[in-house]
Amino acid sequence: MHVAYGDAPALRGVSLRVGPGELVSVVGPNGAGKTTLVNAILRLLPIRQGTVRLGGEDVTSADARAMRLRGVALIPEGRRLFATMSVEENLEMGCYPPSARRYRDEGIARVYAMFPRLKERYRQQAGTLSGGEQQMVAIGRAMMARPRLLLIDEPSLGLAPAIVEQVFETIRAIHADGLSILLIEQNAARALAIAARGYVLEDGRVVAEGPARALMAEPQIRAAYLGEGDAADPREGGER
Amino acid sequence: MPSANLLGQSLLSGILAGGLYALLGLGLSLSWRFLRIINLSHFGFIFLGAYLTYQVATSFHLSPFAVMLAIVPLLFALGVAQQALFVRFAVNEFGSLLVTFGMVAIIESLIQYFWTADFRRLESGYGTLSYRIGPLFLPVAEALTFLVAVVLGLAAWAALRFTYLGKAMRASAEDPAMAAAFGVRERSLALLVAGTSAATAGIAGTFVALTATLAPAQIYAWIGVIFAVVIMGGLGNPLGILAAGLLIGVSEALTMALTSPSWAPLVSFTLLIAVLILRPGRV
Repeated sequence: MHVAYGDAPALRGVSLRVGPGELVSVVGPNGAGKTTLVNAILRLLPIRQGTVRLGGEDVTSADARAMRLRGVALIPEGRRLFATMSVEENLEMGCYPPSARRYRDEGIARVYAMFPRLKERYRQQAGTLSGGEQQMVAIGRAMMARPRLLLIDEPSLGLAPAIVEQVFETIRAIHADGLSILLIEQNAARALAIAARGYVLEDGRVVAEGPARALMAEPQIRAAYLGEGDAADPREGGER
Repeated sequence: MPSANLLGQSLLSGILAGGLYALLGLGLSLSWRFLRIINLSHFGFIFLGAYLTYQVATSFHLSPFAVMLAIVPLLFALGVAQQALFVRFAVNEFGSLLVTFGMVAIIESLIQYFWTADFRRLESGYGTLSYRIGPLFLPVAEALTFLVAVVLGLAAWAALRFTYLGKAMRASAEDPAMAAAFGVRERSLALLVAGTSAATAGIAGTFVALTATLAPAQIYAWIGVIFAVVIMGGLGNPLGILAAGLLIGVSEALTMALTSPSWAPLVSFTLLIAVLILRPGRV
């Protein structure tokens, strides 16, 4: 997959790909254009220039709905649940397209098996859940779409460290089932630790890419994003 | 102190009036919540439906309900066209209030042009028919209005709660971008909401023709109380609309019986202000 995003200030000629079954991380400081990248892939923002390909098909002219129908699902930054709708209704929105509805029962059973807590609260309004529970719903909603490419945007944002641990464990488990994942994350150490490959995004450009291990070993990246292994606060070195 | 009979009759007429309020407010509430359009022309659509019912039923000696069946698709189309216009010119929530105020004035002028400012009354046989239940009289046209309001309210509630389309509307009202990312076609859904909302105005119009005397200026008579009902009921909440309609209808009727009819309008707005103070953030 190749994304380029014209002369808009947010992204200037970013190119990246996610292979089948691969987990790729995009790391970088606040304001580097990470969320813009996700929104451009999903066509929530227009792409000025460049192409998007999905499994060989050119989908540059597709819209958000068409991307969903082709199997791209999103776990957005800040969860963005439908707050006044129940847990179960949020999950059902994951299988909204008519062609996906026959997988509803199967999908919901799978999500409840993964997160038993959600089963206990299936009628509760999503907006009244704790941050960690909301993240479970956001993950479940995306899994209901039976995606072939899962976009995950800042999954650790605003969550307690113990919950972040669980969320990354879940991402690892989902990936182990063979799903292709593009993980956007400010917490570089954690994101690169579970990824096969990584990209470092800075000021709308890719400034480094390669196998995650190699990136983590590079002194410059260590200094800028891994801050002596202090994974809890990667922002420090990122902003200049 | 009025007699128990009078109070009972007031209570009954209040309940029935509440049904009419809910019927008039349902579409307004749906388009406000799900389209972010405060559609004053909804009242124009209601009277368009009422006058068309009056005219066609009178000229062709048809049952008003047969006429209603034709009005529903007509008003649906009108609502869809209006929404397409709103999208075309990117009308926002506040702008919609101004634009539709202009539209209702145009509809009023059209009605005045075709039907003059004279009072019109549909002679259907329903208008004067009533049943006696013990000491009380149950007017048939009003009772039918109430029944239709309850049926439409329940249908709207069930559609929003149990169907994928209804859930998609709620999701889209909360976060359109996220709904789109999960496959919701926001634009066509908006047209459906607009058409349905206008169609309920058509249905309401037929019942207005059955129960009221028509004059163009009457378009504005209900705006205040219906806004109170819609806001009290909670936007996009059909059961809330029914409850608020009943509450205001009954309070007005009891006020009329216990004090004087001129106090009635005060009740709805006092209740509205009380709700806004006790539960702010409803709009």
